[in-house]
Amino acid sequence: MTTVDPTRGRRVVLTGLGLVSAIGIGVDAFASGLRAGASGVKPITAFDTAGFAYANAGEITDFDPAEHLRTVRPEDLGRASQFSAAAARMAFEDSGLDRERLLAARTVVAVGTTDGETRDLDALVGRQIAEGPEQVDPVLARRVGNEQLSAGIVRELGLVDVEAATVPTACAAGNYAVGYGYDAIRLGDADLALCGGADALCRKTFAGFYRLGTIAPEVCRPFDVNRQGILTGEGAGILLMESLDSALARGARIYAEVLGYGLTCDAQHPVAPDEDSIARCIRIAQRNAGVTPDQVDFISAHGTGTKANDITESRAIRRVFGERPPATVSIKSMIGHSMGAASAIAAAACAIALTERFIPPTVNHVETDPEIGLDVVPNVARPADLRVVQNNALAFGGNNAVLLLGAAPAAA
Amino acid sequence: MTTDSPPDRPIVLSGWSAASPFGLGAEAFTEGLTAGHAATAPLDREHWDGPYDTAGLIPDFTVAGVLGRKGTRALDRSTGIALATVGLLLDQYDGELGADPEDIGLVLGIGATSVQSIMDFSRASQAGERPYDVDPALFPNTVQNRATGAGAIRYGLKGPNTTISGGSLTSLLALNYAVRMHRQGHGRVFLCGAVEEYSAQRARLEWHGGGPGGGGAPGPLGEGCAVFLTETAAGARAAGRQPLATVLGSRFLAFHAPGAVGATLARAVTEVLAAAGATAADVRVIAPGEAPGPLGAQEEAGLDRALGTAGTAGTAPVRLRVRRLLGDTGAASAGFQLAAVLSLARTQPQPDGALALVTSVSPAGTVGCTLLRLEHPAAD
Repeated sequence: MTTVDPTRGRRVVLTGLGLVSAIGIGVDAFASGLRAGASGVKPITAFDTAGFAYANAGEITDFDPAEHLRTVRPEDLGRASQFSAAAARMAFEDSGLDRERLLAARTVVAVGTTDGETRDLDALVGRQIAEGPEQVDPVLARRVGNEQLSAGIVRELGLVDVEAATVPTACAAGNYAVGYGYDAIRLGDADLALCGGADALCRKTFAGFYRLGTIAPEVCRPFDVNRQGILTGEGAGILLMESLDSALARGARIYAEVLGYGLTCDAQHPVAPDEDSIARCIRIAQRNAGVTPDQVDFISAHGTGTKANDITESRAIRRVFGERPPATVSIKSMIGHSMGAASAIAAAACAIALTERFIPPTVNHVETDPEIGLDVVPNVARPADLRVVQNNALAFGGNNAVLLLGAAPAAA
Repeated sequence: MTTDSPPDRPIVLSGWSAASPFGLGAEAFTEGLTAGHAATAPLDREHWDGPYDTAGLIPDFTVAGVLGRKGTRALDRSTGIALATVGLLLDQYDGELGADPEDIGLVLGIGATSVQSIMDFSRASQAGERPYDVDPALFPNTVQNRATGAGAIRYGLKGPNTTISGGSLTSLLALNYAVRMHRQGHGRVFLCGAVEEYSAQRARLEWHGGGPGGGGAPGPLGEGCAVFLTETAAGARAAGRQPLATVLGSRFLAFHAPGAVGATLARAVTEVLAAAGATAADVRVIAPGEAPGPLGAQEEAGLDRALGTAGTAGTAPVRLRVRRLLGDTGAASAGFQLAAVLSLARTQPQPDGALALVTSVSPAGTVGCTLLRLEHPAAD
C-alpha cells in the first residue's frame, strides 16, 4: 500500500485564523466563546420556518459583510462566499503578513463546502414558484457557482499567483481543504495557503435533515444518552498556512503545526457512517502525521449528536485508541453543524486549544451515553498542556478526513 | 531513471473514457471529434423546458437505460453520467486495476451538476403542503459529493474520494489534485475527471446570468463526463498499461481586470513550459477552452503571445476546438479538451517528445493550463 512519508517535504504551520461562527466572529471572540462553552443556537430567521414543529440552528445574526470586505462588493457574493472571503481577510490580517509578501507568494486557496450558495438557489426557487420559471435574478444567477467560494477570496485579497479550488466534499470538506493546502506547501508547490470551509444556513438542507428525523428539537447534545440529533449551522473557518521556515524567518506567531491528514472512502452507503472506514482513516492520518495513538491529547470529534454518528464514531475511536481514548469533544454542541465549514472551524478550535492550553467543552451535556463512554469534557473547558490533537470529519458519500495538528515547534 | 523519489515520480495518464454528446465511450468521442461535426442539436421541448432550443446532450442518455434499474432509482442525471463514465473506463480493464481498493482514489470535478436536484428539492419544501414534504431518498443528490461517493460505492473504490469545483478550470484542477495525491503518496491509482449535466435549471442560471459580467452571450450548453486513469509511469508498466501522456505540470493564475486575461494566460503558459524545461516549439497540440466573447479572444491572444504565432505553415501546432462541437460543458469542458488531445494522439501520432497544452479561462477570474508530453506505444 502506498503511504505518505511524514519525514519528507517542508513542515507546515498555521499562522493565521479567520473565523465567522455563531459563537463569535474573529479569532478572539471565537476563542472566548470556546473557552466559555458558549452557545450560538437560536430560532432560525434565515428562512420561513412555518410548518416545522421546531427550527433552531447555529445561525449567525451579527455578521455584516461590509465590515470585513474591502475589495469585493458584498452583493456580488452569496452568503457562503461572503463568509469565506471575510474569514480569509481575517486570517490574512491575523497572520501579520504584509501585503507585498502575500502578493509575491505562490498561493493555494481551497474552500470546502456542502451547499455552496444553495441559500441563493432557495431564493431563486421561491421567486420561480411565485412568478414563473424564467423569472431568474441575474445577480443571484451569477453568484451561485461553487467556484465563487474560492474565487471570492482571490478577488477580495487581490491574489494573482493563485491556484483556487472549491472542495465540495460535504461535511468533511474543511479538513479536505486544509489537507489540500498542506500537501501543496509540503511539496513546494505553494508558499502560502488559505484553506478551510464555508456554508450558509439554507432551507433545502434543513428540510432534508428534518425529514430524515435527524434535527434536534432544541439543542445539540453530542455523546449524551438523550441526544436527539443535529442542529444545522453556518459560518466559515479559513486557516493561513505557510512553511515552518517561512514562519520562523518572519517571526510569525505560530498557532500549530499541521502534522498530516488522511482520507478514506467507505464505499458502502450514501449517508450512514462506517466504523471500519473511520478507523482506517484515523490510522492513515496518524501514520501520515508520524504520530501514534498514545500521543494524541484530545480528539475534536465529528460528533454531530445523532444516534448513529456518535455510536459509530466512538467505536471507531475505541478501535484505534483502545479502551481509554483521550478526551473527545464536539464543538457542534456550541455552534451546530456548519456543514462544509465544520471541520475547518473545528481545526481552528484545535489550533486555539494548542496555543491557549485548554480543551474546549462539549456543552449541553447531562449524561454520557454508556455505550459511548468517552470523556467528553462536559460543559466546562479544561486547562491542558497539549502537544498533539486530532480533528475528525465524516460526510455523506462515505467521505472521511482526519487531520492531526501539533503544538508550535520551538523557535530554533 | 535512477531516482524515483515520490515528488519526482512522473505521473501518467494511462487510460480514459468519456460520455459525451458524441455518445458513450472513448471510441465514440474520437470518431465524433475526427468527423468534426457539431454534436449540439435541437432540444426535444416536450422533455426539456428552459431558455435554450439547442444543447449538446449525450444521445438517448437515461440513468436506468445505461446503468440498469437496480439501485439507480434515486440517482440524478449527473450522478448517472459520472457512474456510466467511470464504468466505461473500468470496463477496459475488466474492472481489475491491479491495486488494493484502498489504494484507488476517485477525484471528480463538478460544476452546476446538482442545481436541478437542489432546486427540485427546495421546490418540494417551499411549494409542498408541509415544508418537509421532500423525498428523503433524493436528499443525497442535493449534496454535492453525490456522484463521487456513489462512484466509490458502485465500483468499490476506498481510497481518497474527492470532489473539486473551479468553473471551467475544474477538470484541470481535479487532474492537478490527483497528481498531487500521487506525489504525496495518498494512493496508487486515481480515477480523475469531471462531470456536468444538462438541466433546465442549469440552463436558466447560465442564460439569465450571462451577458455583461456573466461571461458573455451564452452559447449552447453541453453535458458529459471525461475520466482519466492516473498513476506513476512505473505503476502503469507494472500493471501492463501503456502510458498515453505524462503530466508535466499545471499552472493556475488569477486576473482582476478583463483586459488582463491574455497576459495572465501567457504567463501561465510560459511558466508551465519553463518549469518543465520545455520551449514553445515543443508544443504540437493546443486545446483551448474557447470561452465565448472577449475571454476567448484574450485566451487566443495569450496563447499567441506565449507560443509565438506559429512559424511557417506545416509547423503550426494543431488547435483542437472542442467547445464549438459539444457546447459549453462547464466543469467537464477541460476534461473534454484533454480527451481530444488523447484522441488526436491516437488518430494522428505526433512526433517524439511532442507536447500538448490544455488551457482554460473562467469568468470567475481564473486561468489554468496543463502541459502533457504525449507518449508513444512502447515497441514490443
